[in-house]
Formats: sequence, structure tokens, C-alpha cells
Amino acid sequence: MKALINTGSLLLLALAALACVEPEDKPSSVHDLRVLGVSTEQPELIASTCDQTPEAFDELAAEVTYRALLVDPAGGGRTLQYSLWACADQDDRICETEADRVLLAEGTTAAGELTLPIRPGAARVAENKLLIERVLEEDAYQGLGGIRMPLVLRVSAGDEEVYAQKLMVFWCPVVAGMTANVQPVLPGLRVDDVAWPESEPLELSGPGPFVVTADDVSDRQEAYVVPGLRLQAVNLKEAWEIAWYTSLGTFNLSETGGADFGGQQGRHRVEWEPEEGAGAQEVTFWAVVRDGRGGSSWLVRRARWSP
Amino acid sequence: MSLNLNARSALAAASLLLAPPALAQAPQDGAPPAEAAPPAQAQPVMTKPPELLQQVEAPYPPEALAEGLTASVRLIITIAADGSVADVLPTEPAGHGFDEAAIAAVRQFRFSPAEVDGVPAPVQVEYVYHFTLNAPTPESSGPEQQAPPAAKATLTGQLISRGSRSRVPGATVRCGDDPAAPEAISDAEGRFTLEVPPGECAVRVVASGFQLYQTKEQLQENETTEVNFFLAPTAGALETVVRSERPKKEVVRRTITRQEAQRTPGTFGDPIRVIQTLPGVARAPFISGELLVRGSNPGQTATMMDGVGIPLLFHLLGGPSVVNAEFIDQLDFFPGGYGSQYGRAVGGIVEVGTRKGASDTFHGSVKVDLLDAGFFLEAPVTKGISVAAAARRSYIDTILPAVLPKSEGSTLSVVPRYWDYQLRVDFGAKRDARSEEEAQAQAGSGHSTGYVMAFGSDDQLRLVSGGPETERDLSVDTHTLFHRIKGDWTYRKGALTSVFTPYVGYDGTSFKFGAAKQDGSGYTVGAREVLGLELSSALTVRTGLDLVYEHQSFDVEFPAPENFEYVAFPGAESIGELLVEHIGLGSFDGALFVEADLKVGKFTFTPGLRGNYQRAGDARNVALDPRLWVRFDATERTQLKGSLGLYSQPAETFRFITLPYGNPDLAYQRAFQSSLGVEHRLTDVFNVDVTGFFNRRFDNIAAPGQILSLPGGGVVQLPYSNQGIGRALGLEVMVKKQRASATDKWSGWISYTFSQSLDGRTGPAPEGGGGFGGGFGGNGDDTYGLSPFDQTHILTLVSNYVLGKGWELGGRFRYTTGRPTTPLNHTFDLYQVDRNRFNGTYGPYASSRTAGFHQLDVRLDKSWQFQSWTLGAYLDVQNLYNAENVEFTFNDYRQRREYEVPGIPILPVVGVKGSF
Repeated sequence: MKALINTGSLLLLALAALACVEPEDKPSSVHDLRVLGVSTEQPELIASTCDQTPEAFDELAAEVTYRALLVDPAGGGRTLQYSLWACADQDDRICETEADRVLLAEGTTAAGELTLPIRPGAARVAENKLLIERVLEEDAYQGLGGIRMPLVLRVSAGDEEVYAQKLMVFWCPVVAGMTANVQPVLPGLRVDDVAWPESEPLELSGPGPFVVTADDVSDRQEAYVVPGLRLQAVNLKEAWEIAWYTSLGTFNLSETGGADFGGQQGRHRVEWEPEEGAGAQEVTFWAVVRDGRGGSSWLVRRARWSP
Repeated sequence: MSLNLNARSALAAASLLLAPPALAQAPQDGAPPAEAAPPAQAQPVMTKPPELLQQVEAPYPPEALAEGLTASVRLIITIAADGSVADVLPTEPAGHGFDEAAIAAVRQFRFSPAEVDGVPAPVQVEYVYHFTLNAPTPESSGPEQQAPPAAKATLTGQLISRGSRSRVPGATVRCGDDPAAPEAISDAEGRFTLEVPPGECAVRVVASGFQLYQTKEQLQENETTEVNFFLAPTAGALETVVRSERPKKEVVRRTITRQEAQRTPGTFGDPIRVIQTLPGVARAPFISGELLVRGSNPGQTATMMDGVGIPLLFHLLGGPSVVNAEFIDQLDFFPGGYGSQYGRAVGGIVEVGTRKGASDTFHGSVKVDLLDAGFFLEAPVTKGISVAAAARRSYIDTILPAVLPKSEGSTLSVVPRYWDYQLRVDFGAKRDARSEEEAQAQAGSGHSTGYVMAFGSDDQLRLVSGGPETERDLSVDTHTLFHRIKGDWTYRKGALTSVFTPYVGYDGTSFKFGAAKQDGSGYTVGAREVLGLELSSALTVRTGLDLVYEHQSFDVEFPAPENFEYVAFPGAESIGELLVEHIGLGSFDGALFVEADLKVGKFTFTPGLRGNYQRAGDARNVALDPRLWVRFDATERTQLKGSLGLYSQPAETFRFITLPYGNPDLAYQRAFQSSLGVEHRLTDVFNVDVTGFFNRRFDNIAAPGQILSLPGGGVVQLPYSNQGIGRALGLEVMVKKQRASATDKWSGWISYTFSQSLDGRTGPAPEGGGGFGGGFGGNGDDTYGLSPFDQTHILTLVSNYVLGKGWELGGRFRYTTGRPTTPLNHTFDLYQVDRNRFNGTYGPYASSRTAGFHQLDVRLDKSWQFQSWTLGAYLDVQNLYNAENVEFTFNDYRQRREYEVPGIPILPVVGVKGSF
């Protein structure tokens, strides 16, 4: 407790001081090459048994759709080079260990949504070993958090280079009640309490701030079961987080929702302020939702804003 | 012009300038007393001041006489335990032969023995010897002329210090300037009785440390006139001066007086923070009061109040310390190499010595500042019993609502509140031995003194934030309190000293954060017994026991925490099922220690051994700590000193709770400490101390530990392990200027430390990273490197100057090397999609540093003395020239650019204090 208090005091002081220092580059302000989100459909694969049988591995070798949300507002529609690797060690952020990596896809694309059909569960490394087995061997938790295979997307254009690591989760029913994760999907967004349609840009004017909210997601947040570290069943409930992005100005918060360790959940409410001095233009907004267990999706909305 | 001469010791003897505990023992090493003295935490108290029994007149120096010079020679007299004069030193040389004449005369003085805790003991006193020249008296009318029988009047009364109402002992009271006139010397209660011819008496009261007091009284024949005279202190009613130090048995012990503690700029008068200005202590971030001693980490330096551990040092995490400055007598700081009677720390030791209540009359003070208000009271209850009490309460909770931002759609409520108290009742009859023989007879029998003390603290912090326009509703509620009651029984008989210190305590904690709740309570019972026996002038042995038992229990209710109950997925934390637990655990830590001082010529060897045994849950730990330190008295003014030894610190009881929240297999944290130094007294007021040190820490607590497989299946990550290691080496320099006397205006010190501190852990980095022993993260696979608190150069200058008329100005300047940082080396973005965070790419670990820290703090004090009380006010300005020092660095969200977090800007604080 004393150590907690000591550390807490330093953190409080640091946070108080941090509030006085504001970096220029804000997470919500998209102005160069970024990967804003990655999802896999299905978000996780679950075998019907935990026995390491060929049938079980076949179930985990199913094809999934890999999606990445790439943005490059300053690129002027330039070509983006990409390569997608799978590897064994989560700490290998760029999948550079050659013996433990598999190239899943590579090529060129443009900004927007990159969609790739992949079968990471079938990938094999040296000595024809399934990569999924190598992932398990590297896991200090012995698979009690699922087999989490790093999928690393490298995207580059000009002198910009981004590595984006997503964990693909493979499960088996370690404890009773485990079911496959369902992809989180946002039902919709609102601006100043007005529904924000996907089909056409919303008309906005003035300096703002404009209050952007997400429609209620509480009934979509799943209750689920995972194995505990002592092999007991642990009951959890998702608390979704939404990351907010805009091509003009900033959001007051770059991320909303989630739960703290006291179980207190955030509400999905942000305020958008256009950039001071900017002229009338079409603005793109992205809201990327994460369910905290590997599932993710996003909404894209546009607005015609004038000062 | 013809002059008559008179050399007279116009001032009374034994004008004691304060600090009985400091005075209570001889200033010089080698002086007889204290070798069998009680342990450091038992502060000795002077129970009887010395009285001048035999005075010798000094011859007037012929040269000075010829030139018509006068002088006042201020002397420091060391009075041995038998009342003889052991040493005489002038503090302000007067020249012209006055010093030599005064010293020669004073060496022949004889005093009644002073008593400390009821037994004769050597002390130091200040004494001023006046050489005056008087106009010639009229020619006498002849021996045949018989004077008529002289009529007499009596002037009696009490001398009281203006502003504090303290009694003034040892002052000389006389009528007029006639050297032949009778004079009286005030006793310990400040009382005097003077028999003089009736008529007008031009009263002159001369007392060291006070301004000359003059008044006129009409005295009637055969009548007694009773008066109270209020004398004005020469250096402010709050003035305290330490005349001597207790003999040092440790290689390095630095002592801070109450005045230093209260008047050091930039510390808000907070005594614990003054320790941070001493050598060997690294600067803690911001204004946090953490003690980072010789490379050790936070929590590895023990802080004790009269031998009993203080469980929580600061209110509200980094606020004021829980010890009221008024209650402190002095602070002893041992950065390392301390004796076997101290344990439970692998860093340093801070010993807060509390104050005994006044024995003369009722005193007190009230202090008000920006954060809190408090009082201190002290008074004699009856003969031999005195009481001192202090309490403080914050009121920032009533101010904050007025300054917190208010906006529609959101609410914010922050309620910090704290209070603390200290109470001490002293027992021990004060015996009035009127002669040396009587004192010696009394000394032959055993004598007991003692006290009972209670202290405690309470902190509450409530933060509520919410409303539809906020990101989330937030509620935090914390409550921490502790109470301690301790006794102290000191028994002295001949060469034997025994100090027994039992104590009990209660600790309570409460924490609520949303659905997470934790209520904890702890009970502590402990005792220390230290026996000292002076077997001969060359050999003294000390031995004792130091035992403590704690029982802690926790009622916890919280959503299943990730990585304790299940493997967290990176990113949004899910809400876990509610877990309810009741955890209780007892732990015992006991130590048996023995050490001896062996004098061989100019060497003093002190070997010691401390055996530690801990039992916590199923854990059984044993650690043996052999220690040795050596002093060599090269000259009267120069000592060489060295030490080496092992030190142990048990992990806190709560860390032993069952897996996965604790580790029942923790062992003692250990350290090897060594030092070598030299200490030189340049003058009576200037001391220089240079000490080099080398420490290694091992088996320290590091968090988290490794992941282990459980026998029945599953895994667990140990929250703590004994993998922490560290190493520190350095050189400390301390130059201190003390006040020579009440009229000496300047004091201060220069403290400099050159050091290198390494910190880390054995074995590989644990899963999930985890920091080094200090709790701050490393980078990559590094598990050992520069400590996050490493500061190569640490320089502190502290100075106080008495401007006069109640004004005092102080300054503190600090420079430290910037803390280590690991530089960013961005070449590409590393985005963790699930976590929605970026990883950085870095250069070599700790291969860079923040800019050096420098800051000037200034404090201005003003006191107004009224007849029976004193009003004081202060302005304490931190960071006077508003230096933008870097406390931390952080990176932007993509880890591309580093940003510096500045420290505290200019920060003025005002306070008011009234004392009587």
C-alpha cells in the first residue's frame, strides 16, 4: 500500500504537470499516413476442443477477412506499399524474427479500407511447424489468454512508414460457457443530438464545438467467460472504447468509453472543434470501436463544414 | 584622567543557550559521559542546570588597562560531570590579553554538577566575562570614620523572557554600576533576591542572550519589593542555538535542530523535507518528500519518531509531513553505516526526536498558513511532570469549493482533509541537589525517568466528478489513519543505562473507487530494550531487543482485476465479476543486537551484530547483519572514520498475502553499506565532513515478479519478488556554520554529493515489462542500469541571517544533475492496434539526461515581541526566479517527439505564528 501511495503521489503530480504541457500533434487530428483501425472477421476463432488434434487445428485454420483502415490525407491519392506478416512473439512488434514469421500478403493499395482474405491459423514456419504452435510456445501464460498471434501490417509511402500490430485470437473451450466473440458494431452517431447519416455529408457551420455522441451500445456489449489464471471461469462484460478521428480540427477527447478498475464506464460523448481560420470544406470523421477482446469495426461519416 | 579598574564577571554563570538534549552531553569526543548513553531515540533532558559555586576574578590585562580598553569576552565553558571546568573556548576573541585573562580565571571556576535525566552529566554553557573601567571613587574620609550600620531593603522577583515567558536563569541583577555593589544571580526558575541599601535602585540585569535590562525601583528600608522583569532576547524570542553535538558513534549522523527545521527556505517549515537538503539525499521529483538516500529507492529509508516507526510520512501523499514541526526537538539523519540497534531499512534512517514539555511555565504557539492551522502547548503539571501537546487540522477542504471550476452539465468536488496530533507526558523527579556531594550521593543510586507519548494522523480525500457533459462519472474516496502510543522508561544507575520502549498502534485504510472497495485495519505491538553498560573507560557494551508484531486484515470487494485473475487482452478493460475477499495476516519481526565501543589509543572500534528473524504467514526468514565502524581521533579537531556492514529490511506484511495478490515466499531485503570519511572542526562554529560511500543492495523487492506454473494447472505472476538489486557509490561533503552565540547572525551549510546509482533486477525482464526496483520502467530487455533517481551532482546551499529587529532572512539554492532518460530514436511508427497506442523506438537505456535542476528558495521571517507573547510571520517563496526545471519527460502519442514537464513555478506561501 505504501508503495502504491508513493507511486500514486508521483503520478498525481506528474499528471497535474502534464496537464500544462500540450503536444501539437493530437491523436484525433488526422493529417498524414495513419492506420486508424484493423479488424478481422471473425474477430476470433474457437476450436471445439482443447485437445491438439488435427481437427482442432483445422478449425483454427479457417479463413478470416483482414481489414485495415488506412488514411493518407496529405498523400494526394498516392500508392501505398503494404505487407502483412504473422509471427510468434508479441514483443516482436515488426515481425523481424525470420524463423518465426510468415508473409500473409503484400502489394500496393490506396488509402481507404484494405481488405485481405488470410488464413493465419494455417501458417507454417521453419520445419513445417504451425505458427500457432510457436505462438503457444512463446506464451508465458500458456494459452490461458487464448493463442494471440501477432499480425503486423507494414504500410509505407515516401518516407513515411507505419507498422500496425493486431493480435488474432485463437481459442478453445478451456472453461464452460466460452463462446466466440461477436464483432462490435456501432449503431450510429449523432451530432448535436441529430442523427448522422452514412449516405451524405451533414451540414455544419460555425466555430463549434459540435457535440458528437454514439448511439447507445450498452445492449451490444457482450457478457463473456474466459479462463482464469488458476483455471477457474471468470465472468466479464465488454466495455467498448471508441477512438475518434477527424480530417480537420480536433476532438476534445481522442478516446471514450472503456472501464476503469473500479468498473466505472465512460460515456461516448466528444466535442469537435474545427481548426481556427480554416475555410469551408468537406470533413471526414472516423469512429473506431474496440470491444477489449480483439473485436473492432468503424464508422466513417462526412460533413460539409463552413465557418 | 585617573581611572579605577575592575575586572568582573558581571554575568552570571551558566547562561544556558538552549537545547537541553544537545547540551546534555559533552561536545568533544572523548568526554566521559555518553558512551553508555541511551539509544539515540531516547532524547536526554537536562533536569538541573549547573550553578557557579566558586568564582575567580581575572587580572585586568596591563596593556588594555594602559590604553583604557574594556571588553566582554564570550566563552563556551565545558563543565564536566563533577562540576569542574573541562574546557574553555572563546567564541568571539576580544584580543588585548582579555581572552587569556578570562580563560585563565574561568578555568578555576567550580560549578555544581549539571544533571541530565537526573544524573550528573557534562554540559556546555555560554559565559560572558566583562572587563570594565570605572571612574575613581571619592577619597575616603579616613579609616577612623566608622560607617553607621547599613539599612537594608530587599528586591526580589523573577526574570522572564519577553515574548516567550521562559524563565531566565543565571542572570546577574544589581543596583547601579558600582563593582562593589551586591549582586544576585537568578536561579533555574529565574528568581533572584538582592539586598541593597534603601533608596533608588538603578536596576541592571545582565543575561547572556538578552539585552541589558535597566529600570529604577524605589526600595524602602526593611521592606521587600517584588518585581517581574521581562528581558528582551538579543536574537528573537524564537532563537535557539545548539551549542554542541552528542558524541558521534556513527560514521555519519547529521543533526537538524528545530530552528533549522522550521526556518529552512523552500521546505514550508516541514522538518522532514529539510533532510532532503543534506548530503547523500537525491532530490525527489516536484515537492514530494521522498527520501532517496545513497542510491536507495523510495520506501527504503526508515523514519521513526523516538524509536517508533512512522507509518505514513506525509499528509495527502505529498503534502505536509505528519509530524508537527513544533513538537520536534531535533532530527538525526543517518545516511548509512548506522549502529546495530537500528534495522528494518536498507537505505538510511531518520530519527525524529520529540520535545519534552517545558518545566518552567505554560508555553504555547498557534500557527496558521495556507493549508492548515495548528497549536502547540507545553507546561509543567507538577514537580517532575510536564506535558507537551500539538495538533493540526487542514482547512483546504473549505477553500477548494470556492476555487474549483464550475460549469453547467458537470460537477467536480474535491475534499482533502487531514489532521494530526502529538501528546507527550514526561515523568522523572527533578532533584535539587545543592552541593556536589549531594549530587554525587544521588548519582550513586538508580534513577528513572520516562514519558508516554501518543501520536497519530488522519487523511481523507474524496473526489467526485460527473454530469452528462463529462466523459465519465468518477468517484474516489480514500481514508488513511494511524495512532501510536509509546512509553519510554529510562533507568540509570552508575555505568548502567536501560531504556525500555513499548508501543502499540492502530492503522486504518479505506479506499473506494467505483465498485472497488478496500477496508484495511492493522494492529501493531512492539517493544525495544536497550541496555548500555560502561565496563571501563575503554569499553562500553550495548545490547537489546527490537520486536514488533503486526496483524493486518483487509475486506476487499472489486471487479476481477486483469492479470491477477485472468490474462488481460490489450486495449479496453472489460468489467470483471465482483470478487469479495477477507484477508488477514500476522507477521512478527524481531531482532537481537549487541555492539561495543572499544577504545584503543586514538582508535574507537565499534563492532556490532544484529540478528533478524521474521515470521509472516508461512514465511520464516533469518538475516544476520554484522557491522563494524572505526573512528580515529587524529587530532582534537580531526577524526577519520569508516564503516562497513550488512543491513536488512523486511517486506511489509501485506506483501505476504496469498497468491496472486502477494508473495508468501518473500525474504529479507539486504544491503551492504560501507563508508570512509574525515571530519574536521575548522573553528568552533565551522565543521567540515567528507565521506565516501559504496553500497550494494540485493534481494530487494521488485514488482512484478516472474510467471510461474501452478502445480494443479494454471499460472500466476508473482506480484513481488526478491530480484531487486542496486549499487551506489559517491562522495558527500558537508560544511556547516553554526551560530556561535545568540548574537551571531549567520548560520548555514553547504552540502554536496557526487554519486552514481544503479538499480535493476536479476534475471530477465518479467512478462508485461515491469519496472526496476524503483518502480520505473526500463526499456526493452534491460534489467539493470542507472537508477531513475540518479543525480551525479547534488549541491545545496542553505543560509540564514538574523537581520535584527525581529527580521530574519534565509535562502536555499539547489543544483542537481538532471535525471537519466532514454532518448527517443523515432524512425517509424509502431502502432498497437488493439491497445490503440504507439510504441516508441529508443536509443540506449538511460543514455541521456534532462537538463540540470537549479532553484532558489527564499524565506523571510519577522517576529514581534510583546511582553508575554511573540507574533511571527513568514513568507516562503519557492523558486524565486521561476526556473523552468524539467521534472519529467513524456512523448507525443506517436512517440515521435519528447516533451518536458516543468516543475513547480514560483510559489509564495505565507504563514503566521503566535507563541507565548
